[in-house]
Amino acid sequence: MNATPLAKKLASVLLLIAAPLIMMAQQKTITGKVTGENGSAVSGASVLAKGTKAGTQTAADGTFSLSVPDNATKLVISSVGFAEKVVSLNGQTSVSVTLAASSDQMSDVVVIGYGSARKKDLTGSVATVTSKDFNKGTNTAPEQLIQGKVAGVQVINNSGAPGGGTTVRIRGASSIRGGNTPLYVIDGVPLDNRSARPGYSLPDIGNTPDGNPLNFINPNDIASIDVLKDASAAAIYGSRGANGVVLITTKKGKSGQPSLDFSISYGSSSLLKKIEVLTGDQYRAALTKFGINSSNDKGSNVNGMDAITRNAPTKNISVAMNSGNENARHRLSMGVLDQDGIINKTNFKKYSAALNSSYKFLESKKLGMDVNIITSQTIEQIAPVTNNAGYRGSLIGQALQWNPTKPFYNTNGSLNITKGSDQINPVAMIEAYHDKATVTTALASIAPYYKFNKDLEFKMQYSINYSTGLRKAYISNWLNLQGVERDSASGIRGGVASVGQNELITQQLTNTLSYVKELSKNVSLNAVAGYEFMRFDNRGSSQSGKNFDNYGDVPYYNYMQYVAPVDRGGSSFATPTVDLQSYFARAIVGIKEKYLLTATFRADGSSKFGSNNKYGYFPSFAGAWNISKEDFLKNFNAVKNIKLRASWGLTGNQEFPAGASRGIYNFGQGSLFQYSFGNPDLKWESTATTDFGADLTVLKRINVSVDYFNRKTKDLIFPTGIGDPVPVGTAITWRNIAGTVENKGLEMSFAGTAIMKKDFTLDLGFNISFLKNKLTDFVQTIPTGEISGSGLTGAYSQLLINNQPLNVFYLKRYMGIDPQTGISIYEGGDAKFYAGTPNPTTLLGFSARAGYKKLTAELNFNGAFGHKIYNNTANAVLGLKNLPSDRNVASTYYNQAVSQGETLANPVSASTRYLEKGDYLKLANATVSYNIGAIGKITKSANVYITGQNLFVITKYSGFDPEVNTNKQIGDIPSYGIEHTPYPSSRTVTLGFNFSF
Amino acid sequence: MKRILAAAISLSVLAGCTKLDEKLNGQVAESQVSSGSSSSGNAAALLQATYDAMLGPFQDQARLWALQEHSSDECIGPTRAGDWDDNGVWRVLHRHQWDATHAFAADTYTDLGKVVFAATDLLRFNPTPQQAAEARFLRAYANYSILDCWDQVPYRVNTGDPREIPGIRKGTEAADYILSELTAIMNDLPTSAANKANKNAAKVLMMKVYLNKAVYANRQNPTFAAADMNQVITIANDIIANGGYSLTPNFFDNFAPTNNVLSTENIWTAENVGGVKSGNVRSRWFCTLHYNQNPSGWNGFTTLSDFYDKFDANDTRRGGDYAGVTDVSGLKVGLLVGQQYNQNGVALTDRTGAPLSFTREVKSVETGSNLERTGIRVVKYAPDYTSGDNSNNDYVYFRLADVMLMKAEAILRGGTDPNGQTAVALVNAVRTRAGVAAATSVTLDNLLDERGREFYWEGWRRQDLVRFGKFLGAWQEKDASDPKYLIYPIPARSLAANPNMIQNPGY
Repeated sequence: MNATPLAKKLASVLLLIAAPLIMMAQQKTITGKVTGENGSAVSGASVLAKGTKAGTQTAADGTFSLSVPDNATKLVISSVGFAEKVVSLNGQTSVSVTLAASSDQMSDVVVIGYGSARKKDLTGSVATVTSKDFNKGTNTAPEQLIQGKVAGVQVINNSGAPGGGTTVRIRGASSIRGGNTPLYVIDGVPLDNRSARPGYSLPDIGNTPDGNPLNFINPNDIASIDVLKDASAAAIYGSRGANGVVLITTKKGKSGQPSLDFSISYGSSSLLKKIEVLTGDQYRAALTKFGINSSNDKGSNVNGMDAITRNAPTKNISVAMNSGNENARHRLSMGVLDQDGIINKTNFKKYSAALNSSYKFLESKKLGMDVNIITSQTIEQIAPVTNNAGYRGSLIGQALQWNPTKPFYNTNGSLNITKGSDQINPVAMIEAYHDKATVTTALASIAPYYKFNKDLEFKMQYSINYSTGLRKAYISNWLNLQGVERDSASGIRGGVASVGQNELITQQLTNTLSYVKELSKNVSLNAVAGYEFMRFDNRGSSQSGKNFDNYGDVPYYNYMQYVAPVDRGGSSFATPTVDLQSYFARAIVGIKEKYLLTATFRADGSSKFGSNNKYGYFPSFAGAWNISKEDFLKNFNAVKNIKLRASWGLTGNQEFPAGASRGIYNFGQGSLFQYSFGNPDLKWESTATTDFGADLTVLKRINVSVDYFNRKTKDLIFPTGIGDPVPVGTAITWRNIAGTVENKGLEMSFAGTAIMKKDFTLDLGFNISFLKNKLTDFVQTIPTGEISGSGLTGAYSQLLINNQPLNVFYLKRYMGIDPQTGISIYEGGDAKFYAGTPNPTTLLGFSARAGYKKLTAELNFNGAFGHKIYNNTANAVLGLKNLPSDRNVASTYYNQAVSQGETLANPVSASTRYLEKGDYLKLANATVSYNIGAIGKITKSANVYITGQNLFVITKYSGFDPEVNTNKQIGDIPSYGIEHTPYPSSRTVTLGFNFSF
Repeated sequence: MKRILAAAISLSVLAGCTKLDEKLNGQVAESQVSSGSSSSGNAAALLQATYDAMLGPFQDQARLWALQEHSSDECIGPTRAGDWDDNGVWRVLHRHQWDATHAFAADTYTDLGKVVFAATDLLRFNPTPQQAAEARFLRAYANYSILDCWDQVPYRVNTGDPREIPGIRKGTEAADYILSELTAIMNDLPTSAANKANKNAAKVLMMKVYLNKAVYANRQNPTFAAADMNQVITIANDIIANGGYSLTPNFFDNFAPTNNVLSTENIWTAENVGGVKSGNVRSRWFCTLHYNQNPSGWNGFTTLSDFYDKFDANDTRRGGDYAGVTDVSGLKVGLLVGQQYNQNGVALTDRTGAPLSFTREVKSVETGSNLERTGIRVVKYAPDYTSGDNSNNDYVYFRLADVMLMKAEAILRGGTDPNGQTAVALVNAVRTRAGVAAATSVTLDNLLDERGREFYWEGWRRQDLVRFGKFLGAWQEKDASDPKYLIYPIPARSLAANPNMIQNPGY
């Protein structure tokens, strides 16, 4: 390598200086610095004295200090993404090491469930994304870090709300109900996938979207994310593994010099896309054109979306302190995120603190302990945006359809509110609506372990994850919302308030015994066996009140005793406690480093399961062949590290409500009614996954992975009605019904360093997946995908139907406007036809990082293709029918109406008119950073960057953002791919500065 | 080292003794319901759930009321551009074009079944005789409503077993079963207020069953038996003589927010507690009033001009001012046609700024520029301005006028009153309260019209038109229809869940 002669010279100088010191000590201290080929510090690199137990990791500036026995002669230095390097000390005590970048990740250690393995020993489909490859910019939850980074993994931000929910699907959806979310495991602690944030439903306007249960983690604390995709990898998680598993590993303390890392950023967000509606002048012209009374022209020129959106700043500060020696390492981090939403008044704040410590005890260092504590509080100021707004719309609908000639304020400066009117002034809506949710989470785990010898280790992990949510909301009584508005004539004071509180508690006890040994020259074994117990609890309560008087700006929810007893309400719940007890084992056997066999087994017993099916058994088997190690390929250098993989296994899904197997009565107001019938046979959904894969390295540095998978999910859990007559509480028996959800696909990923010159490097990553989803052997036809809005009562857009993908669109087929009548024509009248699938058939991710000297530029794209999106926003709030109703119309629909002769009387109907192609390619983020390096003696390293998120989207979709998923579920059946007046997406530019002392 | 390993393993095993029994924290298992004695709260709570189950199917605008009214000549739900298309659910009802996928018909069938289930389930948990009788009465009323619309009445013997395939009672068998139930429980029913199940309510229900029994035997060509008609008359005489009811002087008081106090006529109602708990009775005015009226409505349903023309100009039932409403908002009760005003006499406008003047004529699909204003609006229940979403108006099932007109009809259909009262006398008693001239004679056709004027929008019109043989005829915005529409189709999902059921003919 180019740098080597220089290093040698340097080393020899150092040797001369250091030589006398070495003579004196039994132990000697080696210091040094590890850099990459471009001169940048390599932090977190492992430094081991060969043949001894001494080892450490490099600090953020690449330096290390290691005390080694006198007789140590060589250091072994390794780091993810670099080739391992052995450095001869030759008596030196200070070394400078340059690591060569390597895309040969085969020797990297990968976190797998309940242990780790060398990447080259893996037989399953596991994708690892480390922090340097994470998406850049402002991210509030971990799944956003890997959006577009892993083949077969789709991450959708459901809306643009800061801290908003996401939809994550690994290799497609396998469940016809909810519960397609993967299992998240943080440092060995499996999470409950629910959020403690209480829900809130606005009078007359609908339900606000759910929060994101993963908001409590500070993305800056995450070192890497591993995605377990196939059964060989995920079956160790048994009845919770069917949707794939996402393992989140947080950053750990490093031994060596204490360091203090700061990262500060400031960003600004603005509306990504404005939907064009008529301006005041155009609206006036439209009134004239359609012969509508000019009294609807109020003379102004305003725009609803402009009035409620803003350029919103984001501030983010993270601090991390690292300290430690060989026996105790700590990392303490704190973070503050303060993100204003682009809708006025909305805000997301996160305060987080995390402590990660590991200790080694006893002279033998056989006893150790890992401690991990994550605490956080998120505080959200939520917008009055709902999933299922009806006639009066929620904020976005109200803003889009606000009459653009009507001023938001009266001449005296007061808000323009028409009592009893159906038009809600969006500015007033925001002013009157106050909704604050606080979620406080503490996740603590303690994991003592004992190494009996270098092969055998016993580890126990106990964790508790406590999360509590408090939501306080009120709507002022001067807003003209039905059920809220004050009416002095009839003595209604108006105004509503509610306080909801919710607790989620998850406890875990895991005991594992692991054994890793080279059994002989040719046979290696990596085995683990364990027992795990988990307990999940969820309880909460809420109070509500109505009919308040105003006392300045004192929030109604702070004096609920003021209202008459008849105007107060309260309710509480506690879901059944869920106990999950599991036994599991895994063995990975390597033979001659050519043949690898993995077998896993898990037995899961759950209190949720019916009494006849208390335990589920989840085996998996896999094999891999490192074909490049065979003699016949030994000299084949064009393609290296060829590994062929095959796996099969069973995983389960137990995401159904606790108590589902029991006959249960629920409480109403003074009443008791049957909610469900028992089903002693109820069990998990079972997914059999077959995976064939190949990993290889081409052009020396490009790693390629190809996987074909086939997942078949059976025993679909579904709340089945009984024949009429049925009980009051909707009458269900939870059953495993006939039907198979099949997900087939092909995934390919390419990653590596395309160009590596002294001053210039280019890393490229590309992944593409082709997915096919189909529901078969299904005897029922179940509607979902509610379409809401005025004139759309009872309308739905999607079906679960045999031999089609999940959630296929079935809609009236729009044939255009009848020029005679000006009314829409539909093929076959009200008949509904198959109209497409909301499930993308192709997912794409592309990233490029170019480094020139100290400058780095990075781009991350993602895209999805082959699917449709239903634009409920257009259907409900943007159509021509708004014109005579004192409401605005989208320019596209107005122009269509004029050119096609549509009349005002054209009934609104759910149809293919509002079904659009969802294909998109998005520049999710782009970053330019400059590595300043050490600034005098003040900082060890410093780096400044600018990141843009959502810079552009290439799509034909006419809504706010093709990356959208408004929850339009009907009953228990989730919808997919519908936009309905969501919190709009934003474009964000962030300027950041990282430095460490 | 071995010891530590052994300790670790035994720790694991120790921890592994969980039996995985599920602890229900905020709900109760079946065994916990039955633990109560008859004096404990459990049966009372189950009975309350049964009463609550009645609120939805009878009061919501998209349930039984829609099936009984929209399919008739006195109600229509016109599509008004952006409003009320609702996938055509309203159109097909008025035009008699529905099929087995009709969402409201299916939901009504299921909701009525819930009453049946809850009542039957209660009987397992040791109720008092009165609790059992109340539950069985509610069940009988739900059964009767199912029989009237769908002919096939499913029932369960053991509500604890979800695998049980419900049995079916049809037509006459179902009618006889309802009568036998009512007879059996009569002594245990209370003589309490109108808004709880009571003896007189059970008696009126018996009258309804006897009067329609011939229809349930043959809907196209019913033959009314004198014996059945005499039963109607006998029970009516009992109620008139001993019930203590009298026609409420102001017709609209029967439906007012405080009708539980004002009405002297209501025999059975659903209790709605203002601001606390009620069915969707407010939909009666919301679904018809224009946006710019107070209360701001949904600008939907109207009646038809031919029906409006059945009223004399001085018929008080056609509407007028009502205290507590007109003085608050300018709104009148009854049938609203022409210009509307606010409480200060200022003429209202619609959203386009045109005068809010309701037209006489209305179309199934409105296409004109006046589509917000078409059709005669109907306000039978005076809006409750003070109770928010939960209105206080008790919802009326049975009232004395119905008893009187049913008795008159029974006489016209061949029954004999031992007291010698004539049909025309009964009809005139009702007409006199309405302020219209007494009739000199009465035919069945006159009686049907009188029932229309008296009970419009109370959920009886379809049943009346069927019984009078008029349901399949043509009227405004509807052509003559096929006899299959005399009964509703069994909902597809109910059919799929019950092999004992076969689809009603023609669907």
